[in-house]
Amino acid sequence: MDMNATEKPMLILKDIHKFYGKNEVIKGVSLEVRRGELVTFVGPSGCGKTTLLRLIGGFTDISSGDIILDGQRINDLPPNLRDTRICFQNYALFPHMTVAENVGYGLKINKWPKDKINARVKELLEMVELEAFGDRMIDKLSGGQQQRVAFARALSLEPKVLLLDEPLSNLDANLRLVMREEIRKLQERLHITTVFVTHDQFEAMAISDRLVVMKDGLIEQVGTPIEIYERPANEFIAAFVGYVNFMDGRIASIDEKTRTMVVDTQYGKFEINLEQEDIRNGDEVLMVVRPESVSLSLDCGGNRQNVLCGTLKTYMYAGSLAKCTVMVGDKKMIIDQYNPRDAVHFKHAEKVEVEIPRSVHLLKKKK
Amino acid sequence: MATAELSVKLQSSSGSRVKDFLNANMINILAVFLFLLLAFFLLYPIIAVLIKSFRGPSGFTLEYYRSFFSKNYYYQSLYNTLLLGAINTIVCLVIGFCLAYITTRGPWILRKPLKIISLVPLIAPPYLFALSLIILFGRNGLVTRMFDLHWELYGFGGVVISQTLAFIPLAFIMIESTLMSLNPNLEESAYDMGASEATILRTITIPLMAPGLLKAALLIFVMTIAEFGNAAILGGRTPFLAPDTYTMITGESDFNMGSVLSVILIAPCIIIFLIHNYLLEGKKFTTIGGKPVASEPRKITPLIKVPFVIITTAAAGAILVCFAVVVAASFYKILGVTHKAVLSNYLDFTSNQAIYNSIRVSLVAAVIGAVIGVLLAYVIVRGKFFGRTFIEMVSLSGFALPGTVLGIGYLLAFSAPPLKLTGGIMILALNCVFRFLAVGVEAGISKLHQIHIEIEEASSDLGASFLTTFYRIVLPIMFPAFIAGFIYTFMTAIVSLSAVVFLVSPGFQLAAVTIFDAAVYGEIGVASATTVKLVFIVMICMMILNYITKKTRLGSGMIKSAAV
Repeated sequence: MDMNATEKPMLILKDIHKFYGKNEVIKGVSLEVRRGELVTFVGPSGCGKTTLLRLIGGFTDISSGDIILDGQRINDLPPNLRDTRICFQNYALFPHMTVAENVGYGLKINKWPKDKINARVKELLEMVELEAFGDRMIDKLSGGQQQRVAFARALSLEPKVLLLDEPLSNLDANLRLVMREEIRKLQERLHITTVFVTHDQFEAMAISDRLVVMKDGLIEQVGTPIEIYERPANEFIAAFVGYVNFMDGRIASIDEKTRTMVVDTQYGKFEINLEQEDIRNGDEVLMVVRPESVSLSLDCGGNRQNVLCGTLKTYMYAGSLAKCTVMVGDKKMIIDQYNPRDAVHFKHAEKVEVEIPRSVHLLKKKK
Repeated sequence: MATAELSVKLQSSSGSRVKDFLNANMINILAVFLFLLLAFFLLYPIIAVLIKSFRGPSGFTLEYYRSFFSKNYYYQSLYNTLLLGAINTIVCLVIGFCLAYITTRGPWILRKPLKIISLVPLIAPPYLFALSLIILFGRNGLVTRMFDLHWELYGFGGVVISQTLAFIPLAFIMIESTLMSLNPNLEESAYDMGASEATILRTITIPLMAPGLLKAALLIFVMTIAEFGNAAILGGRTPFLAPDTYTMITGESDFNMGSVLSVILIAPCIIIFLIHNYLLEGKKFTTIGGKPVASEPRKITPLIKVPFVIITTAAAGAILVCFAVVVAASFYKILGVTHKAVLSNYLDFTSNQAIYNSIRVSLVAAVIGAVIGVLLAYVIVRGKFFGRTFIEMVSLSGFALPGTVLGIGYLLAFSAPPLKLTGGIMILALNCVFRFLAVGVEAGISKLHQIHIEIEEASSDLGASFLTTFYRIVLPIMFPAFIAGFIYTFMTAIVSLSAVVFLVSPGFQLAAVTIFDAAVYGEIGVASATTVKLVFIVMICMMILNYITKKTRLGSGMIKSAAV
């Protein structure tokens, strides 16, 4: 990480704006992508992630700002002169060519000699484990195979940056997991800088070095999957990357010595670890309580710290976890109980204990 | 008592049995009825032409065919027609491709205007271009006089130019839809891999469009060799098959030779459709990518952009000029010769009488056409009987047939008992109905494919009879298709020339024929004014059709097939 940081970034976006007529779809985006890093643009549909990818690829002109690829400003270069390669969502494989012709298309265009093309195509097909399919036509391939061909084709010219536009969205669920792993493995092996676009937050977290969460043409937060999930910058991100039980509260006291603080809510006082520097005494906050971070137990007698008493409304056992709804006062909480060994007992329970962890993340409310 | 009761029961059950039978087989009965209509008004006339070409005074003979292939004149006529078709097809494809490329890939500002202008000829009868060429380049033409030129418009060149202009929309529409259905990501991928614009065109776009281009080429070829008006008006002494057929019938009353010429004219159409089906079997690259999408404009290299823009704007300019001169000419006795603007061309009694007649004929044709179209569509989509595809093929075939053939066919078939129709309005109307049935049927079919059979089944399940279901459920849903079929038949019928030119009687002139005669005799003013009136009527129809299409989401395919 430190070694990368000292290096020049591979791709720099500087205050990118994009207008379609009067409609501003990218509203000032700045970002640095390090060498060999896999960065994912993620966000709800219409957030501008695909547009941003197309801007990087050169398919659409930026309205203002700069795109710098490996130290060179590429704003005005058309796609055929940019050292970026894109993999479209629908793969865009040429249906009138064989697998090998598809993979070798870029090499041929760039006037490689025939024997070198053949060698490179062979190498690429071996890489994506399709060496036996070179002579097949595209429509004789399965979705996953097409995806690999598209990937091989994009990699054929060893681009500086690989752009992947929702590459897995046309695959069924199981295959998506397999391909996700494969893409990541190859990407790490080839150490190729990659920008990945997806609307699937879980896919984004699983595959990326860093996530760029976007909304309405703006970047909401950039960070590692852990940072985004554990320390979301705002409510939108917190809710976007997973279910959250939000709880309103106020900082009642901060104890610098024990690095703890007390949050006062209408359900009671909670002791929370002090991990955020920007929190001050008296701040209005929103507690980000993830369903799986809460522990559930049966008795509801004692009056322990951080423990609330609630009524179990639904308990849906699903093997690896049980999804529960608990009413705490008028607050409906969703709780995921992993490894639910006591399911039998919970099935008929009414009163339950809900323990809020001390590691809860707090969002400062804007005044 | 008991017996009486029993007999009543029996009676009622036998009554309901008839009803049940009718109910269950209504669609088949309808199919038989419709097939008889098709057989009588579409197949029989064509067969009549075929028979006539083989039957001399003493039975079967090949004499007429021998005469066709041994006389240099006929050979020349066939040669000219095929050459015209070939040249026209190539030029139209090139212009159509440039237009479609710019309107789907080019800069935004050019897309809309070019698209509109390339579709403008649709509102005009094809022979408008012959007329405007006469006004511009004829012996007394504006350009001819201005530069004191001594050229001959009448002949092969003139026909090629007018035909090309007339068939630009067809080429454009077909190529545009092929281009639109091409996934833009394919070209972008090639672009991304380093291909230049020209390379993308050569390696991706054109290979992928090949089936679509071929289809367009074949259709344009067939339409253009069958087209009667331009060749008849501007052909001069250069023989072409379609106008020769006309002269053979009206000039020399030689029905045998006329029939032979017709059969020869059909032959390439049939051959080409066979080729078409054979070649395009299973070749559909362009369907990959699914729904049509507008591509973002690319930075097209000047090498491609400049010639494309020149070709497209030249074509668009020519189309506009042609329309403008016809409008201008309609206000002068002879444009460029007399300088006083007059309204007399518009007030011309024969012209207005002809327009009135045309409207009457077209209305009758439209009503019958729309009804038969909807019923045929229903039978084709919902029927489960043997020969359904055959009925579909026959009902769509009127379209591909040269108009002259159906004109002669009607003359041969319906000029003598049992059904003598010549001389009246009905023969004209029926001719139009069966020639232009295709679009009404297509509209109906596409509408029916949008609704699930379950809707009708639900109705029957709730106890409705076939007729009730048809009346209460099917008809309301099909209504937009009915209206579309109605308007389409109306506006096609009102400008059509090639078939009705054989069928009009001296006392009952039609507008298209009036324009044709006036153009041939050099009465440019009247011809222009009548054309403008027709254009106006068609324009209104188009607008209504467009409105309905948008309102009811009949699918853009409707308008497109209407255009074809």
